[in-house]
Amino acid sequence: MPCVCFYFEVHQPFRLNRFSVFHIGEEIDPFETYFNHKLNREIFERAAKKCYLPATQLFLDISDEFGKDFKVSFSLTGTFMEHCDAFAPQVLDNFKELFRRGNADLIGETYYHSLCSLFDDLSEFRDQVNLHIKTLMERFGCRPKVFRNTEAIFDNRIAKEVEKMGFRGIITEGTEKILGWRSPNYLYRAKDTNLKVLLRNYRLSDDIAFRFSARDWVGFPLTADKFASWIASCEGQVVNIFMDFETFGEHQWPETGIFEFLRHLPAEILRFENNRFVTVSEVVDMFEPVGEIDVPFAISWADTERDVSTWLGNDMQIACFNELKEVGRKLKEKGDERLLKIWRLLQTSDHLYYLSTKGFADGDVHKYFNPYSTPYEGFINYMNILQDLKQRL
Amino acid sequence: MKIAMIGWEYPPFKVGGLGTHCYYLTRSLAKLGVKIDFFAPKVSRGERKSDLENLRIIDVGETAIYPYGTETKTIDGDFFTAVEKFNKLCYEKVNGKYELIHCHDWLTAQAGIMLKEKLGIPLVLTIHSTEYDRSANLNPNPWFIDIERNAMEKADRIIAVSHYTKRIIVERYGIDENKIRVVHNGVNPIGEHGEKKKIVLYLGRLTMQKGVEFFLRAAKKVLEKEDCSFVVAGSGDMLPQLIHLSIALGIADKVMFTGPLTEDEVKHIYRISSVYVLPSVSEPFGITALEAISAGTPVIISKSSGVAEALRNCLTADFWDVNEMANKIVALLRYDALRKTLKENAKKELRFLTWDRAARKTLEVYREVVS
Repeated sequence: MPCVCFYFEVHQPFRLNRFSVFHIGEEIDPFETYFNHKLNREIFERAAKKCYLPATQLFLDISDEFGKDFKVSFSLTGTFMEHCDAFAPQVLDNFKELFRRGNADLIGETYYHSLCSLFDDLSEFRDQVNLHIKTLMERFGCRPKVFRNTEAIFDNRIAKEVEKMGFRGIITEGTEKILGWRSPNYLYRAKDTNLKVLLRNYRLSDDIAFRFSARDWVGFPLTADKFASWIASCEGQVVNIFMDFETFGEHQWPETGIFEFLRHLPAEILRFENNRFVTVSEVVDMFEPVGEIDVPFAISWADTERDVSTWLGNDMQIACFNELKEVGRKLKEKGDERLLKIWRLLQTSDHLYYLSTKGFADGDVHKYFNPYSTPYEGFINYMNILQDLKQRL
Repeated sequence: MKIAMIGWEYPPFKVGGLGTHCYYLTRSLAKLGVKIDFFAPKVSRGERKSDLENLRIIDVGETAIYPYGTETKTIDGDFFTAVEKFNKLCYEKVNGKYELIHCHDWLTAQAGIMLKEKLGIPLVLTIHSTEYDRSANLNPNPWFIDIERNAMEKADRIIAVSHYTKRIIVERYGIDENKIRVVHNGVNPIGEHGEKKKIVLYLGRLTMQKGVEFFLRAAKKVLEKEDCSFVVAGSGDMLPQLIHLSIALGIADKVMFTGPLTEDEVKHIYRISSVYVLPSVSEPFGITALEAISAGTPVIISKSSGVAEALRNCLTADFWDVNEMANKIVALLRYDALRKTLKENAKKELRFLTWDRAARKTLEVYREVVS
């Protein structure tokens, strides 16, 4: 009869403006010109209205009813928090209130939700993680104990670095690629570290995130009591249910009944004796690892491949990633704070995600937010901007 | 199943997608077991023989007829007399036991209508282009529109080469969408060979419909940023005008007008080009885009085209948006990774755009009316 740990990723990128080759090298303000502030506002306000506000409010209501018996964890990216400041401060206030009441725990990550953990030199990674910790300290007074890299990208090298930075736990995907026959419902130790690894139970997580409204799925319709009974029947220490926060109201529309499901879930889960909600920090305090995981090549929780091919799967993505690294090298020599910030905003993994040419089946979730009609359009735009930034150095 | 198909062009004698379509469609249909008698105007040059048992090519008429011989749209010219004569002769010559008549565009529509009545069998009409396309929406000629509408109304099923064309048929001609089926064209792959040069290619007829003017205006912009050559391959009534435009834009030294090309020259130019642009004002399909891809050349296609809906691995632009067209040409010339990814994925996509698939879908339409 395990504990259940709900964790939600909350992220918005700074989407780009249309930037033609004819704009490269023109006299412009890069921050104002590269980023589509109008589109970012529209998307954020829509997401706030459909997801962030109703979902956080629902959690506050549940908190009124269940007090500290109800707990969840969040990772709020730096770019998300900046969007909150600019477009909907109430959203962040709701998160703060959940944290203040002890219903929410916070998770560390790269401030820019970037792929800098895959750079050869990890100094940029450390900078971005420290920036995120600093922001959480300032805004919430919270120093995160558990780390979740961008889209759960994980390998032995990243684990070592994260341990060095003082984290006690790390989140990644509970894929058979690293587990083999073993269960994701236990803690493991990352190879050659004392870092505890929390593994996403992708079946149960995706039952909500992807399959909730799928009429051709045998589990349809998914009700709170049904889901709670599935969790109760799990063996292990902790069932980790991790997903995008936008599942509520954005990926799964309100009409699907997702909010009603969420509203009734805590009561149904707590109905089972010994079932309890735990945060990620509690998990690393409560349990000891039962084994080791060894991940020489990076995994993630994305797509069916569960690797980094979602962002670095084709030549266009690799060309842009190399260009990002190249710009970084030049930028660090120059030391221009304003351009450094822009470079980091351009590192957000979404920009590379949009260039993925993998099949529609995998691309569906992000298609909703993808501002480009094709990955090729995305590449031209992103690459033109990188070229412009490079020329400024 | 035995059918009579009335065509206008048939390789090696062709000027556009219609001839290519009929050639590959009839051959693939014949392989599917459909017996086809294909009626086409007799031509003085080039021999047209079928090597397939199920397919017979039957010449109609005695005089040479040159399709699209004039773009002047005068109704009393030789061309229109020839069309009328051909349709009448078809009406007289097509006899016997057929299960349906299949005709193509306004050129053969009248024979189709008359034969439907004479033989009492269903009529299938394929629309490869409408008067609205050919006129680039500038002063479409009501005489053609009437012929087209009449045939569309009489046909038991209409095959549109794209949803783009289907929309025109429904919206402009007021035809019931329930009798329209969309069958995308296929391509007979050209194959890659030799080395690519920094050439940006347009290939097709030089008419208002094709938007070549926008191609030249984009070329002017591209040349501000990149050194490359532009090739305009094909012939048509706008050739003098386009040459003048290239001079006026000051890019005459970078633009080559080839005139009409032989089949081998067409293959060669596709193969050595780095970018193919289809800038049409209104393009029912656009087989050339698929041909370019099959020769390893990435394409930029007009959003006002049928092929834009059939292909995912391509770049698109509005035909009038020369800045965007130029942006994408420069990007393709500059960014190797873009060219490579686009080329590889587009070639994979061609596996779904074959004539065998088009024939199977056409046969499904036949079965709907013959039952």
